[in-house]
Amino acid sequence: MQIRFLALVFVMTAAYGSHAQTTNYQVYALYVFNIAKYSSWPDLKGEIHITVLGKSKAFDELLKQNGKVVNGNTIKVDQVEAASAIINAQIVYVSDGKSSALDELVKVTEGKPVLIVTEREGLHKRGAGFSFVVVDKNLLRFDINLTDVEKRSIKISKNLSTLANSQI
Amino acid sequence: MKTVSLQLYVVTIFLLFSITLSAQDLDSLMTLEAFTPESELQKDLNKDVSVSAVKLSSRESPGIVTVISSQDIVNSGARDLTDVLKFVPGFDVLQDLQFVQGLGLRGSWANEGKVLVLFDGVPMNDLLYQVFAVGNRFPADAIERIEIIRGPGSAVYGGSAEYGVINIISKAAGTDGFSAFHTTGLHSNGLGRMNFGLSASKKGKDFSWFLNAYKGKGNTSNQTYESPDGAYDLRTTTEQDPLNIGGGLSYKGLDVKFMYDEYKTGDPYSNISFKGGSFLAQYQIKVNQKFSLTPKIQYIRQLPWYIDENKGKTDPEPPIFDFRATRTQGQIDAAYDPSRKVSVNFGGVYFQDHSYDRYAKEDVLTLDNFAFYAQGLFKHRLANTTIGFRYEKNNLYSGAFVPRIAITKKIEDFHFKLLYSKSFRSPSLQNFSLALVDMKPEKSNVFEVELGYQFTPEMLLAVNAYHISTKDVIIYGSEGDGDDFNEWYENYSKSGSKGIEVVYNLKRKKWYGQITYTLQETIDGNTVDKFVVPQTSKQYAGMPHQKVTFNLNYALTTRFNLNTSLIQVGARYAYTDVDDNGPIASKLSPYTQWNFFLNCKVVKNFSAGVGVFDILNAKPVVPQAYNGGVNGLYPPIPGRTREFIVKLSYQFNR
Repeated sequence: MQIRFLALVFVMTAAYGSHAQTTNYQVYALYVFNIAKYSSWPDLKGEIHITVLGKSKAFDELLKQNGKVVNGNTIKVDQVEAASAIINAQIVYVSDGKSSALDELVKVTEGKPVLIVTEREGLHKRGAGFSFVVVDKNLLRFDINLTDVEKRSIKISKNLSTLANSQI
Repeated sequence: MKTVSLQLYVVTIFLLFSITLSAQDLDSLMTLEAFTPESELQKDLNKDVSVSAVKLSSRESPGIVTVISSQDIVNSGARDLTDVLKFVPGFDVLQDLQFVQGLGLRGSWANEGKVLVLFDGVPMNDLLYQVFAVGNRFPADAIERIEIIRGPGSAVYGGSAEYGVINIISKAAGTDGFSAFHTTGLHSNGLGRMNFGLSASKKGKDFSWFLNAYKGKGNTSNQTYESPDGAYDLRTTTEQDPLNIGGGLSYKGLDVKFMYDEYKTGDPYSNISFKGGSFLAQYQIKVNQKFSLTPKIQYIRQLPWYIDENKGKTDPEPPIFDFRATRTQGQIDAAYDPSRKVSVNFGGVYFQDHSYDRYAKEDVLTLDNFAFYAQGLFKHRLANTTIGFRYEKNNLYSGAFVPRIAITKKIEDFHFKLLYSKSFRSPSLQNFSLALVDMKPEKSNVFEVELGYQFTPEMLLAVNAYHISTKDVIIYGSEGDGDDFNEWYENYSKSGSKGIEVVYNLKRKKWYGQITYTLQETIDGNTVDKFVVPQTSKQYAGMPHQKVTFNLNYALTTRFNLNTSLIQVGARYAYTDVDDNGPIASKLSPYTQWNFFLNCKVVKNFSAGVGVFDILNAKPVVPQAYNGGVNGLYPPIPGRTREFIVKLSYQFNR
């Protein structure tokens, strides 16, 4: 009787669908949108390309910003699976699953005005410009590597950089 | 919290669709949450669990943890602590001797030194035997929160927490305001219990205080007890009377607590009581932001297991057991948090336990104990690792070293725990005083695995498996009667248990439910013959093999709340009688206990509830948890019949 009862519970749980308290990628996308808004790149040609490296639900959220105009530049969002496939991006959003490709990404974009934003914490110490970090259990913030950003001739508004959890 | 989450969500949505953000709007980013808003269930699950001694939520804490809130308790209509514990996987209530009841945990008798019970931080186990007696003790309405580790806690809590820890926080210590309650339990043939309590507290930034008091009167059963010398009406010949008065104050880093606790019980022949007072003071010194030191002193004075056999006698005789036990303790705890991802706790404790025979007017034994302990928590994106140890010894044993390691992580909806711990039971004053030969500390090797998945924000399924192997098991023995009575303690080589526990939680705004399943059985190679029953090798005496619980709560309106709960316990085998060949073990039939409780918020802060416990009148008996031998065998205590409950409570929170 008990086994049948448990089986019923499992069936109930499986049938209930899947929508849980999880990472809020809307907020990640909102941050990326504001990074685009409060940064400036040399020689922009009316577009800001945001490329998502790897699979992330943040891509779906960023797509909702596709075509919007920020400071006179149109946002273009795309997604690639390899660092070598990135062409003409102003922001590269590195999904958590592609964190190991950061070294290669830093190499292929060295000296170029490409702002690297990582989903995984702490990667601003390894060449990314921005790394997201969760503080106080639930608040999303970012760490920033201003040295790297300046090397890439990208300017970040002080209004934005002062919000950083930590700076290098 | 719900309002704040909603506001944050609105801000998020607003920001998402707003293109003309100003610098002021940018500041709003600082308040955005990385995760979607918490459901009612997640609010419970995401709270830090203090009993695990590290700052992690229940899904990541380094232990198999159950947390029960005051709202859960109030809604269920639970009468006392045992009503709450019976719904926790692995817990059972059994008889020690002379109608004194104790806890079984994970299929083993855990009465002496195996489960540490803390009430507002004060250890409640007696100092002579490390026993915690239950039964109409800790009225449920006096409790704000219960945190339970269903697994070893020795590395943090020492030699009384070999199998588990129960941390009870009173209403007074856990809230800011005033509360009062009154509970009446009625059987068809008379009163079952009557408990009442008061609490008051004030929480300030620098200065806080609380006071808590409850008193109760009850009987062990409302049935008749048939014995060779006659029939006894247990309504009038037994009692389960608790009394507790406690309080505390804190000023900045200083924290002072006191408590007096009394519990009277016994069988139709004996009065048995546990009385004790304790004082605790600690002061937290914040050396800097990352490092703090907390020196503590504690003094406990008890008269545990006072026994006289004067029931019904007009000419009282001296008690047959009247000891005093004291503990004087000094401790220093250090906490070092070098970064967000690393925290370390370490410290040392010295305590002296002393026993004194009040009847003979002589000192019996003094134990000088010391211990060192350390625990580190290292958070990493792949897993949280907790590593710790405790080394404890006293002047009569060579020492116990118990390491632990726990790897836990919540990854989105999934969580896992891999736990290994050694744990120990330190021989107590009477274990040494009655030892046949030199006592050794009892030691356990415990492996645990838990997997959990959150199917929706409101739904969590957690499954754990464990294997406990205990060696040098400290076992009580007795023989003879009257002047020929002889008792002793000795170490048996091996015992233990293994099992699976399942917890399924569903919590929505208007209703919530929980289903638990427990499968527990003996391990191979048990040598404690007192636990063995002839009918099965899978169960120890008095323990069920399987248990299923079900609880459903529904808020009918904003004022009326309905709760129904059910416990299904499988067959048990226990020693019930004696014949010429010795003790006889019998099968105790499976039972189903079904309860119902309706709570009504009559006016603001004032609630009234009515309920029925054991609607089906299953009357589950309370069997002895071991083979007590020809003279030490106590037949099962007849179970209570259906009990009607009336509760009145007032709760004012500032």
